[in-house]
Amino acid sequence: MIDPAWVSVLSALLFTIGLWGAFTRKNAIVVLMCLELILNAANLQFVAAAIQHGDATGWVFAIFAIAIAASEVAIGLAIFLAMYGQHESISLDDVNLLKH
Amino acid sequence: MGTTTDIPEITSSFTEYAIFIVLLPMLAFPVILFLGRLFNGNETWVKSAKEGGLIALPIMVASFVLSLILIVEFIGSGTGSYYIGDWLNFGWIGADGMTIEEKVFGVGIYIDHVTVMLLFVASFLCMLINIFSIGYMNTDPVNDNRNHRFYAEFVLFCSGMLGMVLADSFLWLFIFWELMGLCSYLLIGFYYERPSAAYAAKKAFLTTRVGDVFLVIGLVMLWNMFGSLDYSVVFNPDNIALVDAGELQMALGMMFIGAVGKSAQFPLHVWLPDAMEGPTPVSALIHAATMVNAGLYLVARMFPFFGAPSMAGELVDLAFIIAAIGGITAVMAAAIAFVQDDLKKVLAYSTMSQLAYIFTGLGAALWLANTPGMEKYAIVAFGAALFHLFNHAMAKGMLFMASGSVIHEMHHAHHEVHHHDGHGEDHGDDHHDDHHDEFDAQSMSNMGGLASKMPITATAMLVGSASIMGLPLIGGFWSKEGIIANTWRVAREEPLFLFPAFCVLLGAAMTGFYMSRMWLKTFAGKPKTEVAEHVHENTPWIPIPLVTLTFVSLSSVILAGMMFTHWSSDSGYAFFSDKGLVDGLIYEFEHIFLNSDAFFFVLTYVVIFIGAIVGPGLAMALYGGALKEGEKAKGWMQPIINLSARVNEKRGFDNSAWADSGLSVALKERLYFDKWYDTAMLKLVAGFAVLSATFDRKVIDGTIKTIERSSQKISLSVRKLTTGSARDYIMMAALGVLVIYAMLEVML
Repeated sequence: MIDPAWVSVLSALLFTIGLWGAFTRKNAIVVLMCLELILNAANLQFVAAAIQHGDATGWVFAIFAIAIAASEVAIGLAIFLAMYGQHESISLDDVNLLKH
Repeated sequence: MGTTTDIPEITSSFTEYAIFIVLLPMLAFPVILFLGRLFNGNETWVKSAKEGGLIALPIMVASFVLSLILIVEFIGSGTGSYYIGDWLNFGWIGADGMTIEEKVFGVGIYIDHVTVMLLFVASFLCMLINIFSIGYMNTDPVNDNRNHRFYAEFVLFCSGMLGMVLADSFLWLFIFWELMGLCSYLLIGFYYERPSAAYAAKKAFLTTRVGDVFLVIGLVMLWNMFGSLDYSVVFNPDNIALVDAGELQMALGMMFIGAVGKSAQFPLHVWLPDAMEGPTPVSALIHAATMVNAGLYLVARMFPFFGAPSMAGELVDLAFIIAAIGGITAVMAAAIAFVQDDLKKVLAYSTMSQLAYIFTGLGAALWLANTPGMEKYAIVAFGAALFHLFNHAMAKGMLFMASGSVIHEMHHAHHEVHHHDGHGEDHGDDHHDDHHDEFDAQSMSNMGGLASKMPITATAMLVGSASIMGLPLIGGFWSKEGIIANTWRVAREEPLFLFPAFCVLLGAAMTGFYMSRMWLKTFAGKPKTEVAEHVHENTPWIPIPLVTLTFVSLSSVILAGMMFTHWSSDSGYAFFSDKGLVDGLIYEFEHIFLNSDAFFFVLTYVVIFIGAIVGPGLAMALYGGALKEGEKAKGWMQPIINLSARVNEKRGFDNSAWADSGLSVALKERLYFDKWYDTAMLKLVAGFAVLSATFDRKVIDGTIKTIERSSQKISLSVRKLTTGSARDYIMMAALGVLVIYAMLEVML
C-alpha cells in the first residue's frame, strides 16, 4: 500500500502542471486538456481520501466529477468548433471579444 | 373636533337644487370650450351661438333664477338665523379607531345674510355682464374665432365666485377663491399676444399669490385651533371660547392679508390697475363687481369671531388694522385717480378706493362687535359696509360697462374716420384697445362732448358716478354715509380710529372730484378729437345691462327703506325690520338727515357738502364746458353740463402749477409703488435667486459631479485589467482563490 501522502503529492503535482498549462498555452485544446488534469488531480485526491478513511463518499464524488468533466469537454469542444468556424483558428490570443 | 352649532337645515324642495347654481356654470366650461374647438369659424357657431355667448347666457340666467329662488326662500324663513343644506359628508375614522368623525370635509351650502347679499350681486352681475359681453366681444374683429375661450373662462369664473359665496367651510372658500384667481389670470391675459397683457396677468397672479400664502397660513392656524374649517364648527361660540385670543387674532390677521391681496388694498394693490389690460367685460366682472369683493367677503365672514363673548375686547387691534388699511388705500387710490388719463384706470383706482371704504366700514363694525357695550351698533356698521359693497358692485359694474361702451364706440369711430380720410390701411388686427395703435381709445383727452352722442351710456355713467360719489338719495349715498358715520362713532370712543375716520372723510371729497372729472372730461365740453365727433351708440346688447343697472342704482333708495343698511346676519335683527316700506323710508330719512345726535347731524351735512358740492365743484371749475354748438344732451344731463360750463367760466382757475408739481408726477407714477416693488424684488428676490443658483451649481451639482468624475476615473483604471484574454481571467480567478484562502488562514 502506498502512503496516501505520496498520492497527495502526485495530486498537487498534477494540479500545478494543469494550472501552469492553462495559464501559458495558446492552443485551446491544450488548455482544455490542462483543465482535465486539474479535475483529475482533485479526483485522485478524493479517491485517496476515500481509501484512507474507508468512506464511499469520496468514490461518489470522483464519479460525479468524471461525469461533469465529460460533459464539460463536450461543451468545450463544441465551443472550439464554433470558434474555428468564425476565426479559422483555435488560438486563445485571437479570441478577446470580452474586452469590447 | 368641537361640537357643531345646531343649524337648522332647509327642507324645502328648491334648496335641493341650490348646488346647481355652482355646478351649471362649471359644467358649461368644458362644453363651451370643446364646442368652440369643434366649430371654430363655423358660421352658425358665430352667428347663432355667438361663439358660445348664447350658451353661457342661459346658464347664467338659470344660475341667477336659482339664486333668486334660494334668496326668496331664505328671506321667507324670516328669522335671520343661519341655514345650511348638506349633500355629501365625508368622514374618517377617529384616532381611537372606533368612532367616525363626520363632516371633516363636507360639501354643503351655507346661507346667511352675507351669503344672500353676495349671491345676488354675483349672479345678477354675472348675467348682465354676459349680456354685455355678447355685444362687446362679438362685434370686435380682434376677438374673432377665440371668443369661445372667453366665454368658457367666463363661466368658470362665475362658478368660482358663486361657489365661494355658497361654500360652507373656509376650505371650500379657499378652493373657489383660487379658482377665481386662475380665471382672473387667464382673462387678464386674454390678449396674450400683447406683452403688456401677459405681464399684467402674471403680475396680478403673483401679487394675489403673496396674499394667498398668508391666507393658507391663517387657515392652517385656524384648523389647528378648531380641528375643522367648517363654519358650523368655527363659528360656534362654545368652540371659540376654548381658543387662545392671541392665536386667533394672528390667524385672522393672516387671512386678512389674503383679503388685502384679493381686494387690491395697500400694499398689495399694484396689480389692479394693470389688470385693465383684459377685455372690458372682464374688468367689469372680475376687477370691479365680483372677485375683488371676495376679500371683503372673507373679512365679513370673520364677524362671528369678533362677536363671540369670549373674545370681547381681545381682537380690537386687528379691527383697527383692517380699518387703517382701508383708510390708507381710500385716500391713496383716490389721489392717484386724480391724474389718470385712461378712462378704465380712473375706474380701477376708484374701485380700490371704494373697496377701501368697505374695509374701513368692516373694520369699524368688527371693532364695535368686539367692544363690550357697543355690540348693538356693530350690526348697523356691518350692514352699512355690506350695503356699500352692494351699491359699489352695481355702480362700478355699470361704470365699467359704460366705459367699455365708450371705448368700443371710440374704436368704431376711429375706424370710420380713418376710412373716410383715405388711410385705407387695415386696422383689423390691432383694432382693439392696444398700444401699437397710435390712437388711444381709452384716453380721456381724446374724448369730450359725448353726452349728446351716447345718451344711454352717458346717463349710466352719470348715475354710476353719482352713486359712487354718494350724491344724496342715490345708491352709494346711504351706505357711504353709514360707513363714515360708524367710523366716526368708533373714533369718538377710540382715538386711534381718528386716522381712518379722517381718511374716509377726505376720501369722500376726493371721490367727488375724480368721478366728476372723469364724467366731465368724457361727456361734457367740446369733442377734443375728430374721432370723438363721429361716435354713435348703436351696438346691440350693450344698452340692456346699462339701463338695468341704472334703475338698480336709482332705486337704491327703496332698498334703503327696506333697511338694507341694517343688513346683517344676526338673529336679533329682523331681516326687513318690522316696519313697512314707507315707515322704513321715513325712519331712514330721519336717521340720516335729522339725526338726534348733534354730532352725526353735522357729520351728514359735512359729508354731503364735501362729497357732493366741493369735489364736483372743483372738477367743474377745471374740466366743465358746454357741448359743441347746436348739440344738446338729454334733458337730465343738459342742466349739469350747463352748470359745469358756467362754473368753469366763473370760477375756472389755472391748475398747471399743480399739474406740473412733483406730487402730480408722483401720482402719475402711481406713487412709485411699482418701481419700489420692482427694485425690492430685484434686490431681494433676485439676489436670493442668484445665491441659491450658485449654491445649486457649486455645492449640489459640484458634489454630484465630483462623485461622477472620480467614479469615472476609477473605472478607467479598472478597465485596463480587462484584457479579453481567457488566460488572464483564469489567472485572476486563481489569484482570487489564493487571496481568499490567505485571508481565511489569517482570520481563522
